[in-house]
Parts: sequence; C-alpha cells; structure tokens
Amino acid sequence: MIRLDFRDSRPIYEQIMENLRKLIVSGAIAAEEKLPSVRELATKLAINPNTIQRAYRELENEGYIYTVPGKGSFAAPAGTLSRQKREELFRKLEEAAVELMYAGVQPPDILAHIEAVLQKEEKKSE
Amino acid sequence: MIETRELTKRFDEFVALDGVSLHVRQGSVYGLVGPNGAGKTTLIRHLAGVYRQTSGEVLVDGQPVFENNAVKERIAYIPDDIFYFMQASTRDMMAFYRGIYPRFNMERYNALKDAFKLVDEKRAIRRLSKGMQKQSAFWLAMCMMPDVLLLDEPVDGLDPIMRRQVWSLIMEDVVERGMTVLVSSHNLRELEDVCDYMGVMDGGRLVFERSVTELQENLVKVQVVFETEDAQLPPELEVLHREKAGRIHTLIVRCSPEEARERLGVLKPLLLDTIPLSLEEIFIYELGGVERGIKDILL
Repeated sequence: MIRLDFRDSRPIYEQIMENLRKLIVSGAIAAEEKLPSVRELATKLAINPNTIQRAYRELENEGYIYTVPGKGSFAAPAGTLSRQKREELFRKLEEAAVELMYAGVQPPDILAHIEAVLQKEEKKSE
Repeated sequence: MIETRELTKRFDEFVALDGVSLHVRQGSVYGLVGPNGAGKTTLIRHLAGVYRQTSGEVLVDGQPVFENNAVKERIAYIPDDIFYFMQASTRDMMAFYRGIYPRFNMERYNALKDAFKLVDEKRAIRRLSKGMQKQSAFWLAMCMMPDVLLLDEPVDGLDPIMRRQVWSLIMEDVVERGMTVLVSSHNLRELEDVCDYMGVMDGGRLVFERSVTELQENLVKVQVVFETEDAQLPPELEVLHREKAGRIHTLIVRCSPEEARERLGVLKPLLLDTIPLSLEEIFIYELGGVERGIKDILL
C-alpha cells in the first residue's frame, strides 16, 4: 500500500505523507477509516517508528487525519484541511495555471478543464 | 539508556577512543557512522563489556557494564566478525544461551524458525556462509529479549530482503518493548531509514550527535529568483552555501522551511521554493568537509 523509494532524496516521512495523502484523497482510504498503526507500519516498512509518528503528526496538522487517543488515527472527512494546506494547494494551482498559459493554452480552455474535473469529482461523491 | 562519559581507550601508545561522551535514549535507534578506523567497533566493544576502558565511564541503564552480569544479560551484541564455538550449531548455541540469558525465549526461537528458514539450525555455524551466520546471530539475539541491542555493521553479508526482514523484527521490539538499538555502519544510506538519532565518529572522537528530526528541521534548501539582480538577502539569514545558475539562487539556509519562506517572502521573489534535504546533503553541509574522512561515509 505504501511504497518508499530510498533513491528518492526526499526524507522518508515526506514520502509516507505523500503516499497516505494520495490514498485518502483518492478514497482508497475512506473517510473515518482507521489508518494502520504506527507499530504496524514501522514493522511492515522496516523503518523507525518515530518517522511514522512524525508523518502522522504532520498529516494531522494539515488536516488529512485525526487521532483518537488510545484508538489510533483515522482519515478525516473531506473539507477539514488546514488553512495553510489550502493556501499551499492554491499556490500549486496558480503555478500550474501560469505554466499552462506559458504553454499557450487559452484561459477558457484552462477553466473548462478545471470545470470538468470538478464535475467529475462531484459526481463521484454523490 | 546507554551513556559513556569521557571514555578513553589506549592500546599502548595508540589512542583508539579519545574522550567519547555518547548518549542513547531508551527506545531509540541510534546510528553510529564514521569511516574505517574511527573507533566504532572499539566503542561498541566497551558497551558490550568486552573491553575495559583506560579512563571514563561506560554505563547502561546507569550501571557500569564491565564484568557486570546483571547488566550484560540484558544486552545482545552482534559483532562484525561473528564468533562461535567450534562445531557449534545454531541449536547448540541456543542451548548455551538459554543457560546464560535468563530471559531467553524458547517460544520465540521456534516462531522465528520460519523467518530464518534458510538457516539449517543443526549445521555448525562456522560452516555456514557469511550471510547465513549473520542470520543465525540475529535469530539467537532476538530470542534473548534484550533491552539493548548492539549491532556492528549488521547488514554486511545480508541480502536486501533479509535486511528488511531483520529490521522489521527489530522495529517490532523497539515499538513493543522499548528496546534500545545502537547500530554502526560506515555507510549513512544504510542507516537513514531506521535511525532516529545519529552520531558521527572520526579519529576516535564523537564529532557530533543529534536527532534526525533536529537535523532535518534545521537546514533547508531554498530556490529563489528575485526581480532585480542586486537583491540583498536578509542579514539574519544564516546561509551555509549558495549557488547561482542563471537567475536562480540555490541557498542552503540554517532555519526551518517556514522561517525561510517568511524571511525571503518579504523580498517579493518571483519564485520561492523550499526543498527538504536528504540526510546525506545535511551531513555534507553540517560537517562542511571540516572533518577528514567524513566524505567516506557518504558514498
């Protein structure tokens, strides 16, 4: 479920965060679903439990997951992301839009594309 | 859990350890890196109670280790050059260790047969291949239910799949029982994923020790493009290294990514990106080539 690439220069906790984010956003881990415990992941991936703990802590700060003491960590329902994380995502959208303009894509086409993506996502959640 | 204070060891005129003060917290996995001849093995032999120090203190759980059975029965040590009795098989050693280590766990011994199924437990360990000898040593060590596990170049001779399996077993004990692990290697890459603390040795000294989180949070790589060529960096920013390619400045800065964003953001750059550094890069910049031989651990 979670893949680490040790040739990747990013720290391992970031790779774990990235993996889990994708699983949560895509719905592979449903909202309110329990995430694997720190112990499980540490043994399965053979990496330090503190690294897992750190990834979980930062995901919680970003709003992707929440922790119930004594019970474990759970995927948060949609719409719970922190303000910083949302700003970061908007920045990424901005960057992509600027790049598309540079590539010669016309603004109406960019908007139409975003429109289509949003509609597809809305259908999925219905 | 493990502590040395000003530990010094001399072999005749040769100073192998020179005032080493090491601190390993309970439940952590501490990676000891350094080039060949840095003193890693000598240090570990003190922690295992094999060597008596010339001066200084060697403490495990607050007690001196040398000739102290009460402490030593809680320590498992897997040396680089594995040594067993002539003709002894894994099973013979199991019987021997059962008599020495009061916590030796037979249930676990049988359960781990499956994990180490390629090791023939009835065959003399000395007649096994190097990798198999290591596996046999891990098998026996894990059954001692140690509070402290000392590993000297542990993955030497293990294939990647076995390496993972062995670390997975170790991590289970770290999480479940709070086992403390000290592991040495001359290669940083090898330890990056398993350790939460790092110590660097060179020339018989401990050059520095720090938590991995601390290392990662204190240095950041920044890529930034300014509108004007002559933009001045804020003076309070501690820049360790800078490179310029075209209009892109690449800076290595001593602060958190958030702080770098804030400090540089006020200059209204056209582009501002913070990139986390790999442990390897962190070591290069932290140690800055000041210490001889540090390059060797990065290869």
